[in-house]
Amino acid sequence: MNNSIIRYILGCVLKIETILLLFPCLVAIIYKEDKGIYYFITACICLVLGILLTLKKPESLVFYLKEGSAATALSWIIMSLFGALPFWLSGEIPSFTDALFETVSGFTTTGASILSDVEALSHCSLFWRSFTHWIGGMGVLVFLLAVIPLSGGSQINLMRAESPGPSVGKLVPKIKTTARLLYIIYFGMTILQIIFMLAGGLELFDTLAITFGTAGTGGFGIKNDSIGGYSPYIQWVVAIFMVLFGVNFNMYYLFLYRKWRKALSIEEVHTYFILIIISVTVIFINIAKTIGSASDALRHAFFQVSTLITSTGFSTTDYDLWPQTSKTVLIVVMFIGACAGSTGGGIKVSRVIILVKSIKKEMASYIHPKCIQKIKMDGKPVEHEIVRATNVYFVAFTIIFFLSVLAVSIDNKDFTTNFTAVLATINNMGPGLAEAGPAQNFGSFSIFSKIVLMFDMLAGRLELFPLLILFHPGIWKELFIKKRKPGQKK
Amino acid sequence: MVIYRFTPARCLVDTCFYTITGIYARNILIACGAEMRLEMLGRKSRKKTGLNIIIVGCGKVGATLTEQLSKESHDITLIDKNPEKIQHLANTYDVMGLAGNGASYNVQMEAGIEDADLLIAVTDSDELNLLCCTVAKRVGDCAAIARVRTPDYSEESAYLRQKLGLAMIINPELAAAHEVARLLYLPTALEVNPFAHGRVELIKFKLPENNILANQTIVNLGKKGVSQNVLFCAVERDGEIIIPTGMFTLAAGDVVSFVSSRRDARNFLSKIGFDIKQVNNTMIIGGGKAAYYLAKQLLPMGIDVKIIESNFERCEELNALLPKAIIINGDGTNEELLKEEGIKNIESFVPLTGIDEENIFLTLYAREVSNAKVITKINRINFKNVISHLDLGSVIYPKYITAEAILAYVRAKTASIGSNVETLYHMFDSRVEALEFLIDRESEVTNIPIMEMNLKKNLLLCCIQRNGKTIIPSGTDMIMPGDTVVIVTTHTGFDNIQDILV
Repeated sequence: MNNSIIRYILGCVLKIETILLLFPCLVAIIYKEDKGIYYFITACICLVLGILLTLKKPESLVFYLKEGSAATALSWIIMSLFGALPFWLSGEIPSFTDALFETVSGFTTTGASILSDVEALSHCSLFWRSFTHWIGGMGVLVFLLAVIPLSGGSQINLMRAESPGPSVGKLVPKIKTTARLLYIIYFGMTILQIIFMLAGGLELFDTLAITFGTAGTGGFGIKNDSIGGYSPYIQWVVAIFMVLFGVNFNMYYLFLYRKWRKALSIEEVHTYFILIIISVTVIFINIAKTIGSASDALRHAFFQVSTLITSTGFSTTDYDLWPQTSKTVLIVVMFIGACAGSTGGGIKVSRVIILVKSIKKEMASYIHPKCIQKIKMDGKPVEHEIVRATNVYFVAFTIIFFLSVLAVSIDNKDFTTNFTAVLATINNMGPGLAEAGPAQNFGSFSIFSKIVLMFDMLAGRLELFPLLILFHPGIWKELFIKKRKPGQKK
Repeated sequence: MVIYRFTPARCLVDTCFYTITGIYARNILIACGAEMRLEMLGRKSRKKTGLNIIIVGCGKVGATLTEQLSKESHDITLIDKNPEKIQHLANTYDVMGLAGNGASYNVQMEAGIEDADLLIAVTDSDELNLLCCTVAKRVGDCAAIARVRTPDYSEESAYLRQKLGLAMIINPELAAAHEVARLLYLPTALEVNPFAHGRVELIKFKLPENNILANQTIVNLGKKGVSQNVLFCAVERDGEIIIPTGMFTLAAGDVVSFVSSRRDARNFLSKIGFDIKQVNNTMIIGGGKAAYYLAKQLLPMGIDVKIIESNFERCEELNALLPKAIIINGDGTNEELLKEEGIKNIESFVPLTGIDEENIFLTLYAREVSNAKVITKINRINFKNVISHLDLGSVIYPKYITAEAILAYVRAKTASIGSNVETLYHMFDSRVEALEFLIDRESEVTNIPIMEMNLKKNLLLCCIQRNGKTIIPSGTDMIMPGDTVVIVTTHTGFDNIQDILV
């Protein structure tokens, strides 16, 4: 395995993190907060380490899927470790596990918090929390690909490990241009939301924090009641943008190149919108009786569905108090998640489509056992390899899910809490139900459970396998055991 | 003889008439016609980042092209019917793949033919390639290159090219045959390549033991008058490429490349004790397309040709096509048959079967039993490094020749955008670059003797063309405005003639 390229990529990631850490410093200067110094210290540490790691250029720039996956998983771990330092150093989150949990939750765009009183945090820490969502949403390695020249051609393996979805396609022939286009779309939409939010009369700081949370489909609020305290206009804007950020970015690319018909005919996006409409309707009918005004009921129903299907995790109301039907619908959309190639989490709509079509195909094969039938998406046959990978993904997802529930159950909390806590973390959602619900936080879990949940968050964000292969003995051997060069004596 | 057409960047500057100018890509003769010039001028202006290229067909040639062109930062979209091949290439190189029929309008549209600069069709089928190009020419505003191999079409390739408006028609078998023929004409050389528009040749040979060149510095040779009008431009020693300075000492076993005119090259080679006679007879094993093309070229040169082919029907066909050649029906790998046909006394031996392993074994056998000049054809390029360790003598790679010819076209097209490089091409597996600059104005490098310039290391001024004459420069020569200068270097990324200075 090409270890030097992994080292080099980690170095580059740390350098990028240095730059990112300077933003909260800036916020600290504006609000005259002394906590900013800890961000500056962390930035310096990252810079020094980054420079040390990139001092020697790797001999070979070629890397394969295993290097790409390992580099991605390690990058995310290392980013979270350093991102957690300021919280811990400044004493705002006294326990390092908690600080790490908060940062992992930020980078993976989960939005699950261990803080009971968010408003007590300094502005720079609040900014950093939300900013991690924005970085994690599109992925730092995609950013790396956009800015750093890594010639060699096999970089698709980095992107594959980080981008969500069953298959990763490029928009344009060059990966660098693809990565740039993705970031341009991401950036453009973020700016658009900021404009809409500012038009609603929100303060700049709140606007930025909430927009970062929405764009990355993260879900860290800066108020204890999340988005609940803001005006209905802001809630509508946030809800609509959450849905938009959960759409496959291919659609925006096609819009950008004026291929309207093709853009509007993406099957995954159709299904995604149909799912949203159905869920909102069911919940609206279900809760309309309890909530007096119809407009409020619609707003809450739409907001909660969009926040959970895109795995954002903001909330306008405590849906834990809603009737069972509504809660169950919410759990279902939590599982399904957003579109592939978006910033959202979950199993992804396209995978669900493939799984459902596989079931249909299986049924057809009982009626006509010799029938040849290919699963199709957008009118094109899906390669067998992708169908297989989707099935394995689902099985692995289920197994990890139940093992995590089992591990968390040691804390002796009730089943709904355990189940939805794991659900909310592995799908990068944020709040679950009961003790992990929107009005509660994850602070009451034990350290062991927190570690399990952190693993779930990373596994969910990186779509399981890039993280799982780090536990494969074959990778350890290659990572840690130095290869003897041919001809070299012992 | 078939003339391949191909447009070097010169055409833009050359306001001259329909001149058949020389050659860059290995052995492909370049003719530039008027419509090509128009096509070049009408090209949409583009940044230097690269061209939008669509490659149809991901076989060996397609893969080689993908590898090279993606390294040179072009935007490449691949089309092939087989999704696995596409997937494999898209994983290895920075390119986008598309599964489908490359001749279909819809597939071409999806691949972005409207914005493409160039479509290269290199599938197995000649007809499909021509159809791809025809469709592409109608749909998009791009140049098109097709591979056409069967003799039926290739004899009409000039006509086809013109009528279909193609930029280039390539034929690997014919190109290979050209190369073999040139080698048989000068059997002592490992490779003979036309250079600088064909006015000079780049000749590669291996220095044997006890040659008078061994342990001599290049300056010394010049003083003795051995290497008159000959310029040593690269030496390959232990897998490393050295661009020699005057103080460089040659050693036995070096693979030496030099540039000179054809006559000077023969003089030089005979002075240092090489045999410069062309061969009188040749034995070809395998009667495929390449064998046919080769025989067709060798027979008029007065070389006796003997072809051994195992398929009886093919033998009859060849006999009809090549009445002067001796066609033998039999297994070319049969030792008895080879002996019977006199392999021991043959002057040259060319195994051209479709199986690389057979070709290599036949070569080794022929070198063992006879003193014949042996030229081996290798189809697969994956094991090039291993093969170069075997002592096979001259080896030709038809796929590589094809890829090189297309690359030269693309490079010329790219190089003419935004830099002073007129043409650029690669030698020694892309480890050495040769660039041609047109000197349009006075600068630090003009009007001073070359020996007074502070040149970069591993760089050589190879030839200067002035008023239609080719000068092989010595230290006292000067570059003047209006000259065309060819430099050879191991550096990359030169944009300007001034880049040659430290």
